[in-house]
Amino acid sequence: MTRANNEKGRYRMNATNRHLGALLAALAVVVAAGPARAAISAQCPADTDGMDTDGDGNAGNDNVCRHLIASDGYADMADGRLLYVFGFSEILSGEPLDMAVMNHTLSANAPAPTMAFREGQRVYLTLSNAGFMVRPDLFDPHSVHWHGFPNAAPIFDGMPDSTVTIKMDASQPYFYSVVDPGTYLYHCHVEATEHIQMGMVGQLYVQPKQNMLPAGTVLGSFTHRRGQKYGYNDGDGSSRYDVEVALQLDSFDPDFHDASESVQPLPFALMEDRYFLINGRGYPDTVRRGPMPNSFDGQLSQKIDAQVRARRGQRVLLRLSNLSVTEHFTVTLQGIPMHVVGEDARLLRGPTGLDLSYDTTSVTLGGGETADVILDTTGVVPGTYFLYTTNLNFLSNDAEDNGGMMTEVVILG
Amino acid sequence: MTKHTTSMGGAMLLALALASFPAPARGAIPGVEGPSFSLTARAGFVSTPEGGSIYSWGYADGAGLMQYPGPSLLVDEGDVVTVTLSNELPVNVSIVFPGQQGVTALGGVPGALTSEVEPGGTPVTYQFTAARPGTYQYFTGTDTQLGVEMGLVGALIVRSATAGWAYGHADGAYDREFLVLETEMDPIIHELVETGRIAEVDFTAYRPVYWFLNGRSAPDTMVPAGAQWFPHQPYSCMPMSHPGDRLLVRLINAGRGLHPFHTHGQHMRIIAQDGRLLESAPGAGADLSFLRFTTTVAPGGTEDAIYSWTGDNLGWDVYGHRPGDPLEPGEYALDHGKPFPVIMPDPKDLEPGPYYAGSPFLGVAGYRPPVAGTSPNAHAGYVFMWHSHKEYEMVNNDTPPGGMMTMLIVEHPDVPVMEM
Ligand SMILES: [Cu+2]
Ligand SMILES: [Cu+2]
Repeated sequence: MTRANNEKGRYRMNATNRHLGALLAALAVVVAAGPARAAISAQCPADTDGMDTDGDGNAGNDNVCRHLIASDGYADMADGRLLYVFGFSEILSGEPLDMAVMNHTLSANAPAPTMAFREGQRVYLTLSNAGFMVRPDLFDPHSVHWHGFPNAAPIFDGMPDSTVTIKMDASQPYFYSVVDPGTYLYHCHVEATEHIQMGMVGQLYVQPKQNMLPAGTVLGSFTHRRGQKYGYNDGDGSSRYDVEVALQLDSFDPDFHDASESVQPLPFALMEDRYFLINGRGYPDTVRRGPMPNSFDGQLSQKIDAQVRARRGQRVLLRLSNLSVTEHFTVTLQGIPMHVVGEDARLLRGPTGLDLSYDTTSVTLGGGETADVILDTTGVVPGTYFLYTTNLNFLSNDAEDNGGMMTEVVILG
Repeated sequence: MTKHTTSMGGAMLLALALASFPAPARGAIPGVEGPSFSLTARAGFVSTPEGGSIYSWGYADGAGLMQYPGPSLLVDEGDVVTVTLSNELPVNVSIVFPGQQGVTALGGVPGALTSEVEPGGTPVTYQFTAARPGTYQYFTGTDTQLGVEMGLVGALIVRSATAGWAYGHADGAYDREFLVLETEMDPIIHELVETGRIAEVDFTAYRPVYWFLNGRSAPDTMVPAGAQWFPHQPYSCMPMSHPGDRLLVRLINAGRGLHPFHTHGQHMRIIAQDGRLLESAPGAGADLSFLRFTTTVAPGGTEDAIYSWTGDNLGWDVYGHRPGDPLEPGEYALDHGKPFPVIMPDPKDLEPGPYYAGSPFLGVAGYRPPVAGTSPNAHAGYVFMWHSHKEYEMVNNDTPPGGMMTMLIVEHPDVPVMEM
């Protein structure tokens, strides 16, 4: 523990000196570049087809527009170490596009903004590229890969070899007709090993149309109530939930991030992750409620906490995913049974309808795998329960023990 | 990316010019036909995309060269299979056949798991009845940790009695089949073995830095089978398809690591594991099968997956048809003639990939038409990466991209699918 504390201090000092230089350089470039960069645009057509494809009773709101911008930035690990990252942030509607590159330099979120859609929506996603302020020597394009989107076409799949990817100071449109509910994930696919390790990852899921049924609709032995939500179009209420929480497992190799920041050769063969994260944070930051400012410039770069809160008796849908480039992870939840109803964005049901869902005390996910887990808190004594990796060596924030891939499930009375 | 692009295009061109392997039947997996096999364990060199050459051991087909992986053994359900193994390596070797019952071994010397052949010793003949169809593997049962790392592993495919079915049920029906055999290597171990220092091999320091599909690392996975400059790695990994084809993907984890294998473009339906159809009762069909967009096959295990890209339900016409145009075979009619939903940016703002033909449409060239003979995607097909999503395995000894990765090409229905 002493050693860990010393290291923490050392990292802080190193970080301050090194990152101060980067900030000064960044400011200089921003001033020099000024308002000349303006090639950021977005396509967001109105929904005029007269059809209500998402089933919410409104025929004019099925088109959904989101706008991501790729850049670099900083995120804090739970031991206090500041890491250089690549990532996405969101250009919100109403933001001036001619200022977007300037406003979103060094604004990478870790993880990226969550993309949540409803079945039947048509998604117009724009990706812009603000470049890397700390690495002006790089001119990397970026992409969005909707990992798991069925029947993808290359043009919107983001895999750079088979399509086009967006250069700096420009914008590329993506389109998805969202017809398959479930838990997916997204990431940049350009130089995938590097860009994903550097943090260009995010959560993505689609809610089913079954949520939109009229109250009183009978689903087998279950009767739909207004506002009741489901993981899938299950036809029997088996994936129903009251509270939905998306938890993305990931891990970082600080040596790789430092090498990137200081323009050193990237250690691909020696890659070894030492920070184990849920929603971009190690414990105890996982349970720090709300957005977290980084220690570089105070930006809220780690916006998504990982604490699960529910009232006793509620059903919780955990949307679990893994985007580590180096590890499989097994997670367990002590004291609350887990019931897996979906994997890789598909209801666990065989082709003839056999129920393949199962009870378990642990879920194992490799990179690019997802699972939908229902927690039934009926009869669970109110209190704090821990969801954590049983790969016990990953319960650490680098040299600091009792951290890493762990979070709390708080059951309120 | 640029480097990758150039070398892959060049390799592809040369491969097309020089390929000397007899073309296998439509979508068939190349290998050695049974039911009797004569294998010899011998040494050779595995080449890697960045110019490496790794001393390895492997099974050879009779007097042929050492192969990595070993020859794919192709037999029919019910065959009495005999495999006679000779050994030119400096250590004992053997073969075990996980998933086969009643394997007998004649000759050689007794070993822990099965009878072994001593260096230059009398051969062992293994025999068993291939009672059940499916995807299996075979590997050395002697000092297996070292032997498999060195390359003594291969695929055993037991074809079902019904042609075109993976198992005895229509749920396993397929149009084309492909092998995806995953392995990895730590070259330090190979160097120690090559220089006679086996005693110094230390598996506690094991760290693979090469990852292979069918014995090749990307982009070499996409050089046709039998290319002359891969004398020890005759198999490619090049899935090809038309829209709607059912591809049978025979996945084998023939190494020791876990590889979350992700197929772009579409889910896989996992219909079998370890050579058994996922069925609730005999004859029920694959009613316990499930869909995955990423699947991790256990070390030593196999999975059979059906993958079928149809292009359904995208909300726009992937062929770029106008409303009055005729339908393509199998086209998703509800999207027919629907316009492309966005306006693509000026090409100067875009970085095109080597497979991109300049248009979003299947089989339609745009501002970057393929150049005959040099483009890796000559007919503007749809190209989908299949790869380990443990992305540090998409690297060739510190050099990305590469490793455990290949590309599926879905060709326009009018374009014949090349078999490579
Ligand atoms: Cu990127
Ligand atoms: Cu992915």
